[in-house]
Amino acid sequence: MFFKPLKTAVVFSALVAAAVLPVQAEDFPTRGLEFVAGYGPGGGHDTMLRSMAKVIRETNLIDASVNVVNKPGGAGATSLGYLNSHEGDGHYLMAATSSFITTPLTADVGLNYKDFTPIARLGIDPTLLVVPASSDIKTLDDIKNAGRVLNVAGGGRGQIEHIATIMVSDALDVKLNFVPFQGDGEVASALLGRQVDFAMINPGAVSEFIKSGRMRAIAISTEQRAEMFPDVPTFKEKGYDVVASVFRGVVAAKDIPAEAKAYLSEMVERLQETPEWTEQYLKPNGIIPGYLDADAFAAYLEKTNSVYETNLSNLGLLKKN
Amino acid sequence: MLDSLSHLMVAFNQVATPENLLLIFVAGLIGTLVGALPGLGPSAGIALMMPLTFGMSPISGLSLLTGVYMGTMYGGRLTAILINTPGDAPAIVTAMEGYPMMQRGKGGQALGISAIASFVGGIFGLLMLIFFAPIIAEYAIFLGPPEYFMLMLLGLSMIIVLAGSDPLKALIATLVGVLLSTIGSDYVSGNVRFAVVPELIEGVDFVAVIIGLFGIGEVLVNVEERIRLNMGKPKFKFSEFIPGLAELRHISLPTLRGSVIGTGIGVLPGAGATIATFIAYITEKKLSKQPENFGKGASEGLASPEAANNAAVPGSLIPLLTLGIPGSGGTAIMLGALIMFGLNPGPMLMIQSADIVWGTIAGLTIANLFLLGSNILLIPVFVNALRLIQNHLNAIVVAFCLVGAFSINYGTFDVWVTVVFGVIGYLMKRANYPTGPFILALVLAPLAENYLRQSIMLGQGSWGIFVQKPLTMTFTILVLGVVLFGLAKAPIASYVNKRRNQAA
Repeated sequence: MFFKPLKTAVVFSALVAAAVLPVQAEDFPTRGLEFVAGYGPGGGHDTMLRSMAKVIRETNLIDASVNVVNKPGGAGATSLGYLNSHEGDGHYLMAATSSFITTPLTADVGLNYKDFTPIARLGIDPTLLVVPASSDIKTLDDIKNAGRVLNVAGGGRGQIEHIATIMVSDALDVKLNFVPFQGDGEVASALLGRQVDFAMINPGAVSEFIKSGRMRAIAISTEQRAEMFPDVPTFKEKGYDVVASVFRGVVAAKDIPAEAKAYLSEMVERLQETPEWTEQYLKPNGIIPGYLDADAFAAYLEKTNSVYETNLSNLGLLKKN
Repeated sequence: MLDSLSHLMVAFNQVATPENLLLIFVAGLIGTLVGALPGLGPSAGIALMMPLTFGMSPISGLSLLTGVYMGTMYGGRLTAILINTPGDAPAIVTAMEGYPMMQRGKGGQALGISAIASFVGGIFGLLMLIFFAPIIAEYAIFLGPPEYFMLMLLGLSMIIVLAGSDPLKALIATLVGVLLSTIGSDYVSGNVRFAVVPELIEGVDFVAVIIGLFGIGEVLVNVEERIRLNMGKPKFKFSEFIPGLAELRHISLPTLRGSVIGTGIGVLPGAGATIATFIAYITEKKLSKQPENFGKGASEGLASPEAANNAAVPGSLIPLLTLGIPGSGGTAIMLGALIMFGLNPGPMLMIQSADIVWGTIAGLTIANLFLLGSNILLIPVFVNALRLIQNHLNAIVVAFCLVGAFSINYGTFDVWVTVVFGVIGYLMKRANYPTGPFILALVLAPLAENYLRQSIMLGQGSWGIFVQKPLTMTFTILVLGVVLFGLAKAPIASYVNKRRNQAA
């Protein structure tokens, strides 16, 4: 009896609040947000999330506190499992890049991209075809008419650089010899040391070499020319259909409440519009802007998954079931 | 060169504010502690400190990070010498000679020798960085997979040195190490090999393996044999841990050789401090007049690798600062830090941001001086701390090891790896299987495998790649010569001896 008026009052005030403040009234977030990086500190995931946290703090984007945690291991598999253990809880936001798609395809993780809620794509890493400054190769046609099998450096077999190399080889109708290296640093030194004829590499890793005139970019694998490299033609405008890039996005756990999803989506949408985001993250890391909202990102993930599935299957790299 | 010097002098003036000096001093101590903890190495130390640097000026922030980096190299040797648990991979070799010295009651001496060798190595590397960084970097990039493969071969040939009395057992240990190293994703073929659980996709973490094999394995043996370490008297004089003139003369050449090897190999992207220590050790054993002392506490076998792993720190900064290419796990994280500070790592960094780069180098030089001082003065503290806990030493070492294993990936999987390899380490010791070849194979085999496959791919299927360029051919001939000579030396010597005996 005693509590009834109180209860009524609570319900009533909640209703009023709901009418006035449609989002906050649902009480999300009830505590600080946790950003989950699937790789160790200093890696691409970690850098993106820490930049997000920094920009959110500097621009007072949300009231809730943000904490970045690292769940490294298993090429992202550990973080997939961790996020999955918080099913239905919207307080977790995880960085998702190509490993989000490829790890479940190549190894038995028991989860895949469908077990998470896409929130947004924040940018893309296209692939740049670069040669050392002293190379004779000036255009794509020089590659086509090289008269011998050229050596190409890139990331691991089955990764985007390899898939893009196969596309170039098909489009130009030449045989190319792809040599996998571990990480962009090793690819860049292999190219500078003239161990290979050209390299397929992510723009951020070589932009300084291009600016200082030690490497020359021949083509970029985007639909349109990138703002960062206004003088570098796309493969497409040269008449070769090579469009390939990996993505940098964020996902939340499976089955989170609609208001949590709306809150996270809005936060990320406003974040990527800030000039701080462009200045502190996109530009220094050489990332091409490419925002997609939750629904478009979901569709994009599905498409990307099937692209990888086809390519990895052709290379015989899909996990055996 | 004079230009470098004037830059450096300006930088010293900028860096040497009281706040910065305090910061560098504390960074060195934190690095020492982090390095001493098994499982936490340079990468973890730099990563842990990075958030602290965000509010600082770039020079202070980068000095803090490089100070921590250098500190971990000093710290790694502490637990290696005191409790036979290498704090990180570059300290494995330190344990091989340092711990036997500790067992003989010369732990203080071992700490003193290794601190001085570390200092000399660090300063040598810094001098190379200051005067020759751009030149060295321009030549280092011309080494490719074929040269790296030869270098790995040289490292692997050290297995013969570590084999001990029974070559067959060493061979078995080596092959098991090779087998274990194949687990996980392989970027050359793109396949994921033997990953029965998702945690194994990136392979078995070899830091978890060395913590188990050395740390826990040693504890199990100690418990069974009721070994008590010989600590000497509780109060000891400076002369007992500061090496005397004779000792200094004894280790001077090995330390210099270690410094050269460490800088040289530290520069190469992808090789780094661990391999530098292995190669420094093998060199000393080959050059030594008393190779039989190695493994029983030979001071030159301690000094040279310690110099090498500290020289590798400035060494690995050379490609980072001159080209923006990280040469080790630690510098990969530093690359991220440079970007965070708004710098553009790349070939223009030393020109565009000269003040910051030189400030950082000056900070690192000061850090090295501080670290020598604090590490020498703290020796009595370390040894006496060990004496205090001696009755519970085994339990404490196990706790250290397990916490260390947890901190590798902040998960329990590596704890199990450590436990399993602790038992394996114990069994290996009981059955007289050498652990050195096992760990060497685990670390070097995947690198050798990848470089070999890359070389053959670069040669488009032809082995001719190893003799095509004059540079590659020089490497091939040198390394094969060293390896063949090492293999042939024993049989030839025994043959010569036999002849001589017959004649007499």
